[in-house]
Amino acid sequence: MTDLFMMDAETAPQVKGQALKLFVRNRAAVLGLIMLIGIFVMTFVVPIWYVKDPGDLIARPHLKPGSPDAPLLGTDNLGRDLLAVIVYGGRTTLSVATGAAALIVFVGVSIGAAAGYYGRWVDAALMRFTEFFQVLPGLLFAIVVVALFEPSFWTITFAIGSVSWPGIARLTRAEFLRLKNLEFVKAARAIGSSDFRIITRVILPNALPTLIVSSTLIMGSAILFEAGLAFLGLADVNNPSWGLAIGRGREAFTINWWAVTFPGLAIFFTVLGLSLVGDGLQDAFNPKLRGR
Amino acid sequence: MNTNDAVTTPLLSVRDLKVTFDEFVAVDGVSFDIHQGQTLAVVGESGSGKSVTALSIMRLVELGTRAKIERGEIMFRLPDATTVDLAQESESAMRGIRGNHISMIFQEPLTSLNPVYTVGNQVAEAVMAHQGVDRSEAYSRALEMFELVRIPEAKRRLKEYPHQMSGGMRQRVMIAMALSCDPTILIADEPTTALDVTIQAQILGLMRDLQSETDAAVMLITHDMGVVAEVADDVLVMNRSKMVEQNNVYDIFEHPSEEYTKALLAAVPRLGSMAGTSEPARFNLVGDR
Repeated sequence: MTDLFMMDAETAPQVKGQALKLFVRNRAAVLGLIMLIGIFVMTFVVPIWYVKDPGDLIARPHLKPGSPDAPLLGTDNLGRDLLAVIVYGGRTTLSVATGAAALIVFVGVSIGAAAGYYGRWVDAALMRFTEFFQVLPGLLFAIVVVALFEPSFWTITFAIGSVSWPGIARLTRAEFLRLKNLEFVKAARAIGSSDFRIITRVILPNALPTLIVSSTLIMGSAILFEAGLAFLGLADVNNPSWGLAIGRGREAFTINWWAVTFPGLAIFFTVLGLSLVGDGLQDAFNPKLRGR
Repeated sequence: MNTNDAVTTPLLSVRDLKVTFDEFVAVDGVSFDIHQGQTLAVVGESGSGKSVTALSIMRLVELGTRAKIERGEIMFRLPDATTVDLAQESESAMRGIRGNHISMIFQEPLTSLNPVYTVGNQVAEAVMAHQGVDRSEAYSRALEMFELVRIPEAKRRLKEYPHQMSGGMRQRVMIAMALSCDPTILIADEPTTALDVTIQAQILGLMRDLQSETDAAVMLITHDMGVVAEVADDVLVMNRSKMVEQNNVYDIFEHPSEEYTKALLAAVPRLGSMAGTSEPARFNLVGDR
């Protein structure tokens, strides 16, 4: 972000300090950040000493948390350590979600910006293309993509990315339509800026608050999407993930509530944390709130 | 070419310009010259085609609208004495001319600056885009420009965001940005309309001072005859897309030849003109001929 706002060395700390202050003032955002840090620690720091293979069958199936011999969160339907499944499964879920969100934002912003900025036939062509993807039933299309190829990190990321970008493309287009006729864009053109420069350096930073917030929401929905696919069995079975864990625990839900509840809570807190942080970022990046 | 020629050859020469928006003719057969170091004021009521003429010179009129330059030529003399027709130039060639040789400032200083960047950054960006200097050099050039346009505490002001500045200060920033690459022509599209009267006087005074310092030509678009009398050398009067009258400022004010010009001048209230009357009276509007 610092690069986009292009602060020189002296102003940077001041503005960053203000942005931080605005973020911290939003209590819900701080709570969200704490949730995300917790999830991050669980998936990337805990494995350093909690060295387990989440595929190992370490005890009897359906061991309740707290019962003798049971690991901290009990075992699932085959006797895997549920804590290990959640800890190691988080990596898959989070990296698929991050990859998909990055793909969605990149494709969506590029197409939306070009459509909104150039207008006319470029807009018409790109928006018809976008609508084509928008009318596809997302989950079905993703299922087909994953089923056609081997379920792997890349195919799942691609499947989620390819059905979810129209929303952000339309949002970006709307922002560009709003911003492109403002005086400062005309002024930028009047000093001889190129189209590319106007799109990336003049208009896009003004659309950022909206895009950042919806990107965090997209990240959340990508996690849900990945969980949904995994729940239906469309996941790389060699890599544990939260959705896959819920999908496996589903059949024994009546006798083993913990095998679906704990991975479900992990998803819940991640998505909620992302939404709250997105809201806080919106405040922090709003230059109009700075210096107050 | 001797030096005398350089003075008399116009810097910019517009001939028979016609601009249309679909069926509507926005500018019809307008011709005028702008000379180095001189100010041409273009006056007329709203919708008379003043701004479209200016945007046509910058070739910004066709972008994002259905406007089209139907005919006419816009001959511009580059610093190396070659002359190009701006009406025929390619978009990439125009990008090299905009900002570098011809700059423009707009009516609304409140919205002409990008709200997410500091003002110093925006001026520095303009410098970097054209002069290929590095960031720190561009910043020192920006500071220089801020001092040139008489922004107090220039060094601190560089780091402010547009919303932290007043309208007059923002218009100074716009002028600083427009002048940062030493253009030969500055087009000012109603630069003082959005400002209050005392700030107007400051900005006009500043523009006049800068003009004598930099020897730039100015095309000033306005509907304020008081402003015209203050700063213009030549005046072009426009009405309903056509040019009505063109002359030097003294002749326009002393003996306007066209009815419309007379009406426009009569519309300016004079201090003391109502001395001796006890009731407020209505002025004649320009349209009521």
